[in-house]
Amino acid sequence: MHLRRNSRYLLTLLLCLGILMPAAVSAADEEHPYEAASSGYFRDQDILPGGYSLYRQDEAGRLWGGPSGGDIKRASFQADAHEGLDGYGRRSCVSCHETERYSLHTSRGNTSCVQCHRDKPIAGLYQYYSPMNPIRRHAYICAKCHEGSTASFATYVVHEPRPLKRDTAESFPLFYYAVWFMVILAVGVFAVFLPYVTLWGVRELIEMRSKGGGHNG
Amino acid sequence: MANIKRFTTVQRLSHFVLILTFMLLSVTGLAWMYIETGWGQGLANLFGGYIAVLEVHRITGLILLIGFALHIGYMLYNINWHGLPKSILGPDSLVFQKKDWLDFVQHLRWIVGLSKEPRFERWSWWEKFDYWAVWWGLLIVGVTGLMLYNPVLSSDYMPGWLLNIAVWVHRIEALLAMAHIFTIHFFVEHFRPRCFPFSATMFEGSKDIEHLRQEHPAWVERMEREGHLADVLVPPVPVPLRILHFVTGYALIALGVFLLVYAIINVTYLTLAF
Ligand code: HEC
Ligand code: HEC
Ligand code: HEC
Repeated sequence: MHLRRNSRYLLTLLLCLGILMPAAVSAADEEHPYEAASSGYFRDQDILPGGYSLYRQDEAGRLWGGPSGGDIKRASFQADAHEGLDGYGRRSCVSCHETERYSLHTSRGNTSCVQCHRDKPIAGLYQYYSPMNPIRRHAYICAKCHEGSTASFATYVVHEPRPLKRDTAESFPLFYYAVWFMVILAVGVFAVFLPYVTLWGVRELIEMRSKGGGHNG
Repeated sequence: MANIKRFTTVQRLSHFVLILTFMLLSVTGLAWMYIETGWGQGLANLFGGYIAVLEVHRITGLILLIGFALHIGYMLYNINWHGLPKSILGPDSLVFQKKDWLDFVQHLRWIVGLSKEPRFERWSWWEKFDYWAVWWGLLIVGVTGLMLYNPVLSSDYMPGWLLNIAVWVHRIEALLAMAHIFTIHFFVEHFRPRCFPFSATMFEGSKDIEHLRQEHPAWVERMEREGHLADVLVPPVPVPLRILHFVTGYALIALGVFLLVYAIINVTYLTLAF
């Protein structure tokens, strides 16, 4: 009796898991609406003047204050970036990769990590055959959702650094200075005008009190 | 009591189209930015959800840019090309001149009680500032908006990483514009004691002469001196129309304040990281 009740619980539990598990797995692998809309077409020919070169994009980027490509670690060249990592299968991506948790794509575009990091096992970004390798990123990753994607398009930094942080001045200078410029402009406008109009209002109020009426009076 | 005509029908219409597109862009843009929050989703649902709201935002942006192009055409058409540069440096011109700077300083001194009130000509310094602020804002928001309209296409002409910058510049400039309109512009034009509760000049095209004697004395005097004040006098706008303007105006002000307040309340729920 006792055993049977236990095994019934066990069965129910297994059944629930059986129902939930595939759902959980496929939720992550699910097709994004953008993916259904894109034919996956991509272009290898860039039309940027001077022939935007895949192999020279880092140089060009640095020249104009573009992104430097981030840290390159040993894992970046591994076929399985998580090789030999303890607890990899049991934890969520963001529990280890806190800095990649939020980006425009995940928090607004509703894309999950594995809709971009789709290879299994996940290869390092610069591993030769990695779909994330900049020589084929536009074709293997971005074109899945963004039809007609090019190598130039794929230099968009998905996990962008925090624009106002000091480090960003080195990793993506133009981004850092442009955003700071805009912030200073915006804050400056309010720093001048908010006190200005407040005092102005007070001044007119005093004037009206002393005249004892409105402008028509 | 008579009114002085201040804006033509085309100018009033331009301003109204600007209001409508600006408000629509504000609502759809904030829905986009705040889509992670219930408020943002609520705004997006008014337009049929997230994907639809992005489309409405893009198309409205294009309409505004077309309006801007038309305005530039209108401006070029109205410039007296033979009289340059004098024709754009006169008192009727919106071009900043030395007097505006002096007026600004004197206005500041008047506010703190150090001097007499400056005697404004046709356009006061803040009216000129407001006009050119739309130019600078539209240029920044328009260029970055066009870059983001179709990111794949635009990265044919520039490296894709410029889009990272475009998103932030677009966002900050748009927030600046909204906050400026919903606080400073509304206050200066409507809530400041001399204008309270509502100044309808830009809706009605004309303003009561007594008010203008106070706010733009140098302009009224110049017209009197030159003898064409009578040409610009118009009868006051009929009451039903005034009620319509008042109600429309306050609906728009309320919308602006609603967006501002809810944007501030919900800002802590955003995962955007500065
Ligand atoms: C147990 C912690 C852990 C989990 C869970 C985990 N990762 Fe990693 N990941 C790492 C470590 C450690 C590296 C090695 C590189 C480093 O130190 O950042 C790495 C490397 C990577 C790289 C390559 C980085 C490079 O520079 O080439 C990618 C891409 C990546 N992870 C994506 C993911 C995704 C997507 C998931 C979820 C499916 C995930 N990771 C889950 C710890 C983890
Ligand atoms: C839109 C596609 C996309 C999505 C969604 C995405 N990534 Fe990435 N990821 C990239 C690209 C592209 C790179 C290469 C560097 C870059 O552009 O930021 C990258 C790089 C990384 C790296 C290497 C370190 C770095 O920041 O450069 C890690 C770790 C990573 N992603 C983890 C994640 C995790 C965790 C998620 C889910 C929260 C995720 N990614 C979602 C496209 C994506
Ligand atoms: C799973 C689908 C998917 C993949 C794969 C994907 N994206 Fe996106 N992307 C989206 C969605 C959805 C949006 C709209 C997000 C938004 O603007 O709210 C978007 C928007 C963008 C934007 C425009 C940003 C804006 O504010 O309008 C850029 C640029 C972009 N993606 C670049 C990339 C790059 C580069 C890659 C390849 C590394 C990539 N995407 C891969 C789904 C995807």
